[in-house]
Amino acid sequence: MTDVVEGPAVARELAAGSGSISYFRSGSGHPLLFLHAAGGAGVWGPFHERLSGSADVIAPDHPGWGGSDDLPELRGVDDLVYHYLDVLDRLELDRVDLVGASFGGWLAAELAVHSPERFRSLVLLGPVGLRIPGHLVADLFLMTPPQLVAALYHDPALVERILSVAPGTDQIVATYRELGSLARFGWRPFLNNPRLESRLHRISMPARVIAAGEDRIVPRVHCERYAAGIPDAELVVVDDCGHALYGERPDAVAEAVVTFLSERAGGRS
Amino acid sequence: MKFNFFHLMPYPYLPDDFDDLEKYPSMSLNYSNANFDPARGVQLYHRYLDELEHADAVGFDGIVVNEHHQSGYGMMPSPNIMAAALARRTSNSSILVLGNAIPIRGNPLRVAEEVAMLDHLTNGRLVSGFVRGIGWEHFAHSVSPAESRSRFNEAFDLIRKAWTTPGPFQWVGEHYEYRYVNVWPRPLQSPHPPIAVPGAGSPETMRWVAENRFLYVSVYAPTAVVKTWFDGYRGAAADIGYEVEREKIALAVPVFIGEDERSAHEEARRHVEWLFHKGLRQSAEMVFPPGYMSPPALRGLLKANLKPYPELSYSELVEQGYVIVGGPESVRNRIGELRDELGFGQMMTMLAIGDMPAELVRRNTDLFANEVVPHFRTALATAG
Repeated sequence: MTDVVEGPAVARELAAGSGSISYFRSGSGHPLLFLHAAGGAGVWGPFHERLSGSADVIAPDHPGWGGSDDLPELRGVDDLVYHYLDVLDRLELDRVDLVGASFGGWLAAELAVHSPERFRSLVLLGPVGLRIPGHLVADLFLMTPPQLVAALYHDPALVERILSVAPGTDQIVATYRELGSLARFGWRPFLNNPRLESRLHRISMPARVIAAGEDRIVPRVHCERYAAGIPDAELVVVDDCGHALYGERPDAVAEAVVTFLSERAGGRS
Repeated sequence: MKFNFFHLMPYPYLPDDFDDLEKYPSMSLNYSNANFDPARGVQLYHRYLDELEHADAVGFDGIVVNEHHQSGYGMMPSPNIMAAALARRTSNSSILVLGNAIPIRGNPLRVAEEVAMLDHLTNGRLVSGFVRGIGWEHFAHSVSPAESRSRFNEAFDLIRKAWTTPGPFQWVGEHYEYRYVNVWPRPLQSPHPPIAVPGAGSPETMRWVAENRFLYVSVYAPTAVVKTWFDGYRGAAADIGYEVEREKIALAVPVFIGEDERSAHEEARRHVEWLFHKGLRQSAEMVFPPGYMSPPALRGLLKANLKPYPELSYSELVEQGYVIVGGPESVRNRIGELRDELGFGQMMTMLAIGDMPAELVRRNTDLFANEVVPHFRTALATAG
């Protein structure tokens, strides 16, 4: 769980579908679209701040998360793909670096498959989205809040610190809404698109898959299969880190993203 | 007043260390079916059907079966099969299926067909209930809780139309698409079997049940909470100019009658505790998974601050009205008081509570039939 940084990033509103979404935008450089994980909406944290040192970071809340409306007309991940293509069009962003974490990593991969020409590079952080029998993503819907926190973070002291503060009613209701949105998009098939893996060959931009060294939500093989299926992809591992990745080790994860962007994406814009 | 005999058909043979919460967090979803002994299962099914048939024989107005999945709490994944087994072995009681969990069925037309068949098998004694299914059953049958309500609504509309509109017709909805809807048989009762729906405080459900004049049935809750539900239902009906008949409101509650007050509590306690502390041991995530309720409904639930069932002591369960326990006279009086306070005209009495042995269920059923039911028949006759 990241601390909120007091900075120039303030939530903005963008009309979308039947309502509006909320997004942060800050930094300078090439535009970078960051798609958050199932948790972590509505927050501009140290990870975002670090990325914004070298990129124009656009970080929207998914429909049904954070400050965004539910947009109930969106019923599947394919709808979210068109939603984000609309967002890029509306913001007049022609070609961006795309970074997605966990559920957002799945969306990023689907976007890159759908419209490879819109993305200069792709970074997936502990992505879900592939169907791998025998290695299913953990059933986070069935976990109690303490179980979920303990599964997300590797550092026991961090787990203890997060659990030491009892959530208020507003927080419980907000989390329930966001997990309900995750259920809308990913209950069945469970956080995967059975067709996605066979389409990864369409991802023509350079890609980096960043795995958490101690991921108890998404088995490592998911990252390995993404890295194997995307033609120009490499797999790196952030050690001593749980599935929360940018929520647990924001500096190390941001470093892994920024390094990749400067080495592989920068020269080709 | 109508009295219905409600059965859950639990699996009572638990391992000795079942109180180990780490090992057995629930009796549902993840409680391995390696713990199900088929030799005992076959005895239980026949015993439980005997108990329902006996209730018919001793004059209950209705006998009630229901649907649960992947659980020792209730062994009726298909209530329609149980209703069919009872149809030709009983002759007087209504048979209430409370109910078919239509959101978690893949094919609502199958439900329309089966219930229509049951209406014929029972010679029109069927009451057709519809439920959403408990949260854990959406895990069990892999249906998104976020779709549960809209699947319920669409499946219900389709089933009712299939029963009442001459086919074939087309159905194209959000969840279901059929080019040919033309169910054979149509139901015997016209326009269709009476509909019953359980409610647990959702204003949407109250309004919908009132608009359609269905039977509204409570679920386990303190008397004070059930009162707000029944008042809410009457209020929703009044808003559309409909005064609810008492018979359209049913209190569902476990009831135990002993020879006298003291022995009743001595005997009932372990079985009531079995039901609430073991049978209903389940996490909030299992009962209300994400998407199952709207965020405002969750806020209301948190505000109500109800204890999870396993945390309620026996005396709390009795005092708050989750169960009725006592000698014949006190049970009779209590039911009379509750009827006056809550304004219901039917009861779904659970007289086979948790792991009660067959002899005790038989005694409880007979005491209820002999010591309670006639009193309310007479009262009704006098009042009428």
